[in-house]
Amino acid sequence: MSDLPHIFASRPSRGRFLERATFWVFRLATYLVLACGLFVFGDIVVKGSGTVFQREFPFVNTTFLTHSPESLYVFEYKGQKHEMGDTEFRAFREKEEADAKVAGQPAPKIKTESYVYSAGGIWPCIVGTVLLVVGSMTIALFLGVSSAIYLSEYARDGRFVRFIRLAILNLAGVPSIVFGLFGLAMFVLALKWNVSLIAGWFTLAFMVLPVVITASEEALKSVPKGFRDGSLALGATKWQTIRSNVLPYALPGILTSSILGIARVAGETAPIMFTAAYVVRDKLPWEVDKLGDFFFQGVMALPYHIYVVSSKIPQNEYTERVQYGTAFVFLLIVGLIAATSIVLRNKLRGSYKW
Amino acid sequence: MSSPSSPAAPTFVIGKARTRMLGLTLDECIQAFFGGNALVAVIVLALITFFLFREGAQFFNQNRDNIRIYRLAGLEYVDYMRQQQEDHTALTRYLFDVRLRTLKHLTEVEHCSLAEANARLASFDDFAGRYGDAIEPVRGLVSDLTEVATAIKTKFTIGEDTKIQREQLLSVGKTAEAAAVVIQPVDFKSELAPILGTLPAYKEAAVVVRKNLEASLATIPALPVHSLQPRMDRFKQLTRDYLATFPTTLHAMEIWDYTRPVPLWKSFTGFMLGRQWLTASFWQDWYGIVPLFAGSLLISMIALFIAVPLGVGAAIYVNQIASSTEQGLIKPTIEFISAIPSVVLGFFGIAVLGQALRAVSQIQSLNWIPGFPFSERLNALTAGCLLALIAVPTIFTLAEDAINNVPRAFKEASFALGATRMQTILRIIVPASLSGIVSAILLGLGRVIGETMVVLLCAGNRIQIPDFSVGLSVVTQPVHTMTGIIAQEMGEVPQGSIHYRALFMVGVALFFLALLINFFAQKIVRKYRISIG
Repeated sequence: MSDLPHIFASRPSRGRFLERATFWVFRLATYLVLACGLFVFGDIVVKGSGTVFQREFPFVNTTFLTHSPESLYVFEYKGQKHEMGDTEFRAFREKEEADAKVAGQPAPKIKTESYVYSAGGIWPCIVGTVLLVVGSMTIALFLGVSSAIYLSEYARDGRFVRFIRLAILNLAGVPSIVFGLFGLAMFVLALKWNVSLIAGWFTLAFMVLPVVITASEEALKSVPKGFRDGSLALGATKWQTIRSNVLPYALPGILTSSILGIARVAGETAPIMFTAAYVVRDKLPWEVDKLGDFFFQGVMALPYHIYVVSSKIPQNEYTERVQYGTAFVFLLIVGLIAATSIVLRNKLRGSYKW
Repeated sequence: MSSPSSPAAPTFVIGKARTRMLGLTLDECIQAFFGGNALVAVIVLALITFFLFREGAQFFNQNRDNIRIYRLAGLEYVDYMRQQQEDHTALTRYLFDVRLRTLKHLTEVEHCSLAEANARLASFDDFAGRYGDAIEPVRGLVSDLTEVATAIKTKFTIGEDTKIQREQLLSVGKTAEAAAVVIQPVDFKSELAPILGTLPAYKEAAVVVRKNLEASLATIPALPVHSLQPRMDRFKQLTRDYLATFPTTLHAMEIWDYTRPVPLWKSFTGFMLGRQWLTASFWQDWYGIVPLFAGSLLISMIALFIAVPLGVGAAIYVNQIASSTEQGLIKPTIEFISAIPSVVLGFFGIAVLGQALRAVSQIQSLNWIPGFPFSERLNALTAGCLLALIAVPTIFTLAEDAINNVPRAFKEASFALGATRMQTILRIIVPASLSGIVSAILLGLGRVIGETMVVLLCAGNRIQIPDFSVGLSVVTQPVHTMTGIIAQEMGEVPQGSIHYRALFMVGVALFFLALLINFFAQKIVRKYRISIG
């Protein structure tokens, strides 16, 4: 008797099998995507960490993080294989030549292979990227939040607002290289700012504007209507209401969602190619004669540097270090920004419930 | 009932004198300020359009001049003959391909030794040699005229340059120096005389070529491999078609007139429909967007072909099937993938994926896949795979939103009627959210077409219309794209040159393509939205 299954228990059937199989297909599709993404991430982390970290104290390759890029010289000398950066190599050669002179021998000829950008570090690129991000996000946040305040607080649904929303939607779809062309035509050439930080700031800010507006509007919309009504009922003006009863509650949401915009700004190469990025530059951004020059200088930037080192120099064991190292540092920065945004937002979603 | 102790009505001061600026109260000023900021998006769009056209619009005039000198200097005339020669070269290439196939068949299927196989192909080689030499008279003519035409063009360009030089001198006020600059006008009629004078010679040459080809066709040998004979029949037909074009070419050359004006629309169609993007060439530069557009399209199609099943599948899985723990794991990870910068993906393609794909393609047992094996490390497939990874998060997020917006009642009603989960998902939820999913795919397409760094680094950058006649294996060809060409060439062109303006026009095309895709995505959502709350 008890061997008989329950009459409502599920019995295996063709349909049920098909359903399970279909679900497995969907599951595999999902995990395939995750695996691909994590594989790319993992490959760069594994190969890149060899450049950035080291076994001895202080465990981080400080040269790579705090020096400018240099050419790498690889050569064999007196039976020993040497790899040296530009400055080190020059000192080495001078010393050898001096030694040879003392010994009364002709100056030694050193046959070298050289690889550009493959020694030294990426400090100027990190600085440049940070400067670009800070400046453009300041502009984008100012314009974006103001714009969102208008759309969510002041505007009544009408033709004008619909027009603006349409523009924002379309702006979001414009390819980044078109922003690059626009920046070149308007800021670099028409306004004669040349290839400069400020041209890059505005180009990037306009590119990320739709992201910031959408995020800010969402945050503003999530503040309950009662907050505004209460304030208005007490006789506050519209602006007072927004300033004291809406913005403070929306601000965390605005900031966290905008961090995703930061990741986008930091990660884009195409818009800064013609507007702000230099392939190589000796001076660091703060080494300027007068303050005004600060805004009108080009900078090196991490994404552009990756492009340069991965397309303009050959792939081999010597160049690979700097390629993977740069990609790793860059990915780390962007990944940290994105992860912060995602975690903060999930936290915020849980904590703000009214 | 009145209250006896009602106090005297107090005088309220309601209205404080409002500060006004330009007749607006402070609050209105603030509102106007925010409204002005909201307009930034509109203004930026307008500015983009304005500046792209400002830099690019001159292109059509310059391109017209470019085509005009092509005609005036007789390059066009020479190209008629050159075309004939190139068509013949294409036919000999076909012949060579047949020989290769025959040889492969002989050595691999019939196991002949190489010497033996070559011996059996001897009569074929003899024929192919005669066929290939048949064009010789025309070829000689073309190579002579090429130099003449180039010389005329160079003369003209030098004349233009001296004109500019004189204008520059005049503009800085150096009249004496300007007067000293001698401009030699090019008399095209007399310059072109030697070229046009070759028409009788060409007529004779064409007759000889025709005779040669017909003679060699009459003695066409049978192939040693019978199964390849249809190809030879096809070759005969192709040659006859080729011979049939001779009178048209001759006619075109007879009525050719260097003074015929070049209308502006020619310059426009030359850009939109031009099949060549050829710059810094010794002969003639062409700015046709078709090869770039075809490359962009091919790569996007590969990317969507991979990304649509994965993205939509993942959206369905996460929204309908996965447990909430899984959801909490998958969603942030996919968002994280979308944050991987494209230049890093491009670098990954160069460093890892390109080589890996090529290695996979060279595995013997995978030879049945079209296009395998391939030798180019960087090609449309490599770029397409990486772009798929970029498109997946976009498609996933938007499609998941769309699925999430299907009213709960739909699902419940379906369950109540006894449908299984799979039936509910595939027949109710997905069709109900189809408009959202389609628009998600379109926006994914917009993302992929506008992506620059991956295609610049991984697509192989060969400017040529992909050869679609080879079927699916077209995906393994290297291509160039609209975004890639801007990024690659913009840094190197002199400002204001025709090449520079052409790149801006490519940008304009890209801009409007993106707007069009966006427009359709929105239209689809609006038109097919389910109106049940």
